[in-house]
Amino acid sequence: MAGTATMDGGADDSNCYRVSGALTILRAATTEREIAAMDDGMTIDLSDVERMDTVGAWLVYRATRDRGAKVVGAREKITGLLEQVAEADQPVKVIPEQRGGIMGLVEEVGEAVVDTGRTFRGLVGFLGATLIGFYNVAKRPTKRFRLNAVVQRFDLVGVRALGIIGLMSFLIGIVIGQQGAVQLEAFGAEVYTINLIGRITTRELGTLMTAIMVAGRSGSAFAAQLGTMKLTEEIDAMRTIGVSPVEALVVPRMMAAVVMMPLLSFYAMIMAILGGGIFTWIALDIPPLTFIQRLREVTPMTDLWVGLIKAPVFGFIIALVGCFQGMQVEGDAEQVGLKTTAAVVQAIFLVIVLDAVFAVFFSSIGWL
Amino acid sequence: MSKISPILPEGEDAVISIRGLRNAFGEQVIHENLDFDVKRGEIIGVVGGSGTGKSVLMRSIIGLQTPDQGTIEVLGEDMVGRDEDEAKNIRRRWGVLFQAGALFSTLTVAENVEVPLREYFHMSTRLMDEIASYKIAMAGLPANAGPKYPSELSGGMIKRAGLARALALDPELLFLDEPTAGLDPISAQNFDELILSLRSKLDLTVFLITHDLDTLYAICDRVAVLADKKVIAAGTIEQLLALDHPWIQEYFNGPRGRAAAAA
Repeated sequence: MAGTATMDGGADDSNCYRVSGALTILRAATTEREIAAMDDGMTIDLSDVERMDTVGAWLVYRATRDRGAKVVGAREKITGLLEQVAEADQPVKVIPEQRGGIMGLVEEVGEAVVDTGRTFRGLVGFLGATLIGFYNVAKRPTKRFRLNAVVQRFDLVGVRALGIIGLMSFLIGIVIGQQGAVQLEAFGAEVYTINLIGRITTRELGTLMTAIMVAGRSGSAFAAQLGTMKLTEEIDAMRTIGVSPVEALVVPRMMAAVVMMPLLSFYAMIMAILGGGIFTWIALDIPPLTFIQRLREVTPMTDLWVGLIKAPVFGFIIALVGCFQGMQVEGDAEQVGLKTTAAVVQAIFLVIVLDAVFAVFFSSIGWL
Repeated sequence: MSKISPILPEGEDAVISIRGLRNAFGEQVIHENLDFDVKRGEIIGVVGGSGTGKSVLMRSIIGLQTPDQGTIEVLGEDMVGRDEDEAKNIRRRWGVLFQAGALFSTLTVAENVEVPLREYFHMSTRLMDEIASYKIAMAGLPANAGPKYPSELSGGMIKRAGLARALALDPELLFLDEPTAGLDPISAQNFDELILSLRSKLDLTVFLITHDLDTLYAICDRVAVLADKKVIAAGTIEQLLALDHPWIQEYFNGPRGRAAAAA
């Protein structure tokens, strides 16, 4: 049985290395050290070895190859093993070659830049393919429009997000109310908390927070679903049957995100205002009727439009990036994880960039 | 004891010994009162129709599936109800090749082979790299396969890399789950020859699940048949053919079975 043999391998005076018992992987490190301590041209006496495995054989073989060692007393079985490992002696690199130092850094930066450019070009190409898909569906809606798929996506992207988005918005309403009240109280202007809640939730936070939540919930799901389908060749199977993956998979997801985003954003705004209203009622003693009346006076209708116009655009971006990254999956399961992460990160980044563009745009057309 | 009994006669050296095994998933009973022995040094092929629990049997033996009842002895040690530390010491003495290779996708082939070495032993990086190198060569892979990632390998190479990892610790016992499935006939034949040569060189006992009749005829010393929730028989193919069991007759005497026998 392995590991039960007693071993007293060691060097004697005449540069002879004698092992007894088992020369196996269990004492590989010790044997390696002991052989290293011997002089070149040593004699290795294996006559007392009862058991040897390929690791033991490798160590002996290596000593004969590199150190000019002579092997004596090897029984037939052990000679066979030594021949085995000698036959399998081929130097193998463990990791792919990498460039180190400054050149390596330059190479990495260059690769990252090219990669980013490629991703962007791919995204634009995918946008084109998606628009063509939409056009094809719109041209023959009775035949190409997949009602079931779309309704199912509406449910997953919209209805099932109501709970978490509602709760999140409600809490954000409270936070805005509370933070605003603390600051404005210093000027005796607590009542302006209502302005803050009304305007910031409709104009910015309702839509933005919803977009972030949808990117995290649905954008990631799109990427993971399509990525897995790509790995299992489902998407290739669709193509061979003659079903366009863009029409069957991407269009319903895009539609769901575009339609659901404004609805969810509006709902998020209402929930945030509700949270803020309850907070001002309890903490600032502003009764609900006064809150509503003041809210209507200080929040212009254009604020609502600002929020709701942005929403479908954000939805479009989230679904586009999610589906695009999903379709980029190739090779192994790890890619699904990487692309899903990329989908969420890129979607949120693009949403925030666009939000800034929208902010400048709406200000310049006078919707202040 | 008849010759085709799944239980070895007294005095034979059994590497795996299973008695009264029962496995069930909910209402569905996979194994009921299953007895089975594997002799030291043999290559045993396990066959059975789909859903007869070949993989479940292997998973029970290697401890990935806790049986409802029964005892499993591997290499003389009782496996059921072992704590993790003790089980580890026994696990080190076998290697497993999973059906799809199950290589770690973030590691290169050589690093995959080094995983068990790192886990169980402290040795110099040089020695570890060398061990990985010759294991890769023994599994019949070219040197340039070492630094490749699993996603860059073909199906046959994945199986060979999985085999190299299974052999990393010089196991006494090798489990192979459908090693030739999905390989072209030439690769499958090469793989069969590889298993045979490794067995004779390294004194392995091989537990082989397969559907490949050619493999059964070419390399298996005995074949165990799983049916009716048990191992109904284990013996050489000639011994099994003498049995009057409908599944066995259909399996070995079907057109494919006869073609393989003729080869």
